[in-house]
Amino acid sequence: MTSYRAFSPARIWTLATATVTQLLRMKILIFLLAFCALVVAAGFAFPVLNPEQQLKLLKDVSFGALQVFSLVIAIVATALLLPRDLEDRTLYTILSKPVPRHEYLLGKLLGVLLLIGAGLLLMDLAFSAVLWLREKLLLAQIIQALEAKTPEAVAQLQEIVGKQGLNWGLHLGVLAVFWKAAVVAALALMISCFASSTLFTVVVTFCVVIIGHGQGLIREYFLQGGTLAEPVKKLLSALLAIVTPDLGVFDVVDNVINGEAVGLGAALAMSGTALLYLTGYAVVSHLLFVEKEL
Amino acid sequence: MKRRLQALSVLLLLGLVKLPVEQTATATLREARLLTAMPDFGLRDQLGQMSFAAALGGLRSLVASFTYLRAYNAWENVNWAMVDSLFQITTRLQPRYEHYWDEAAWHMAYNAASYYLNDETLNPAVRGKLFHEHIRRGHDILQEGLRVLPEDPRLWNSLAELYERRTYEPARAAECYLKVAEFTGNARFLRFAGYQFAQSADRAFWQRGYDLLRAAYDKNQRPPTLINTLKDLEKKLEVPAERRIPESYVPVPSGAAVPG
Repeated sequence: MTSYRAFSPARIWTLATATVTQLLRMKILIFLLAFCALVVAAGFAFPVLNPEQQLKLLKDVSFGALQVFSLVIAIVATALLLPRDLEDRTLYTILSKPVPRHEYLLGKLLGVLLLIGAGLLLMDLAFSAVLWLREKLLLAQIIQALEAKTPEAVAQLQEIVGKQGLNWGLHLGVLAVFWKAAVVAALALMISCFASSTLFTVVVTFCVVIIGHGQGLIREYFLQGGTLAEPVKKLLSALLAIVTPDLGVFDVVDNVINGEAVGLGAALAMSGTALLYLTGYAVVSHLLFVEKEL
Repeated sequence: MKRRLQALSVLLLLGLVKLPVEQTATATLREARLLTAMPDFGLRDQLGQMSFAAALGGLRSLVASFTYLRAYNAWENVNWAMVDSLFQITTRLQPRYEHYWDEAAWHMAYNAASYYLNDETLNPAVRGKLFHEHIRRGHDILQEGLRVLPEDPRLWNSLAELYERRTYEPARAAECYLKVAEFTGNARFLRFAGYQFAQSADRAFWQRGYDLLRAAYDKNQRPPTLINTLKDLEKKLEVPAERRIPESYVPVPSGAAVPG
C-alpha cells in the first residue's frame, strides 16, 4: 500500500494529460490545419514581390497566426476548463478523491500549456519546412536569372536571401510566443477562479491582454518622476502597471523576423519574467480557488 | 473572505516585485535590439483603430507587411502621395528593417521623380520642381533611416547612388561609399569612392581619390575604369612621370554599365 503524499507530480501529470484529452475533444486541432493551409498560401502568394519581401511576408503571416492561435487557445480553453468541469460534475469526482485543490489547478494549467506547447511545436515544424523550401527555391531562381554569376554576386545574394531565411532565432521567437501564451493562460485561470461566467473570464482576460501590451508605456509613465502634477493619472497608471503583466516583453518576434539573434541573456530575461508571472498567478489562483464554493 | 484578501495582497505584492523585473527585462531586450519602442499614438489615426490595436498586440510586423502591400498596390496605381504615406507608416512600424527605408526612398527619388519629369501634361517648370522635390524626399527618407540604422551598408549605398545618379554630388557620394566599405569590408566600395572623388571639382578630393585608387592599384586591383581614372588624376594632379603607372588608357566596352 502506497502512502499518501501532499504534493504529487504524478497526480498533476494525470490531470494535465486528462485536460489535454478534454481540450482535444473540443476540436482545437482544426486550428493546426488552418495554420498549415495559411502558411503554404502565404509562402507562394505575391510572387511579384522581391524574394526578400516574399520570405518576410511568409514569416509575418506565420508568426501572426502562431500568436493568434496561442492567445485564443490560452484565453478560451482556460476559461472553459473550470465551468466545463463543474457542468460535467467531473470537478466533484476529482476533488472527492484525495486530490488537493492546488494540484487540480496546476494539472489544468499544465494541460493547457502542454497543448499550446505541442501545437506551437507542430506549427513551427510546418512553418520551418515551408520557409526552408521557399528560401531554396527563390535562391535557385534568382541565381539562375543572374547575368554574371560571379562568386561575389552569388555570395551577396545568398547573404541577402539568407537573412530572411530559416535560422535558429526564429525558433526562439516561437519560444517567446509560448511564454506569452503561458502567462495569458495563467491569468485566465486566475480570473476564472472568481469569475461568475465563462464570458466574463474571456472578456476580462482579453481586456487585460490588450492593456498588457501597452503596460510598458503605462509603467514608464508611472515610474518617471513628478507625482504632484497629475496625481489621479499617476495613481491610475500605478494601479494598471501593478495589476497587469507586461506582455510587450515577449514581443521580440518583430525583430527576430528581421534577423536579429536572440542571445542567452535575452532568452533568460523573457523566461525569468514569464516564470515570475506564472508563479504569482498560480499562487493567487490557489488562494481564490481554495475558498470557492463549488 | 480571508483567502480573498490574501489573494489580493499577493497580487499587489507580485505587482510591486514585477515592476523592476519588467524594467530590467525591457532594458535587456532593447539593448539586444529585440524590442522596438512602442508605436506612437500619432500612428493610430493613420492606421485605423483595429490595425493599431494589432500593432500594439504583438502583430506589428504583420501590420507593417500589410501596409507595405498596400503601398505596392498604390505604386501599381501610380499614386505617389499614397505610396509615400503608406511607406511612412510602414517604416514607423518597423524602423529596424532597412529594406523598407531603401524601397521608400527608391520609389520617391527614382520612380516618382522620373514620372513627374516625363509627365508632358505638366508645365515644364512644375515638372522640374516636382522632380527635384521627390529626389529630396528620397534623400530625406534615407537620412531618416540612417538615423535609426547608422551602420547599415545598404542604406549608405543607396544614399551614395542617389548622390551619384540623382543630385550629382560626387564628393558626397564618395563619402557614402567609404561608409559602405567601412561596414562591409568590401574593397570594391573604396574604388567606387575613388571614382567619385575623381569626378568632383575640388583638387583636395582628387588627391583623396588618387590615394584610394593608387592603393587599390598597388593591391593588384586593376580593372580598366581604375586604370583610366588614375591616368586622368595623374594629369590633373601633375604627378611626376616616375611615379605614374606604366599602363596606358584602356578602351572600355560601351555596354559596361558598372565600373569595376
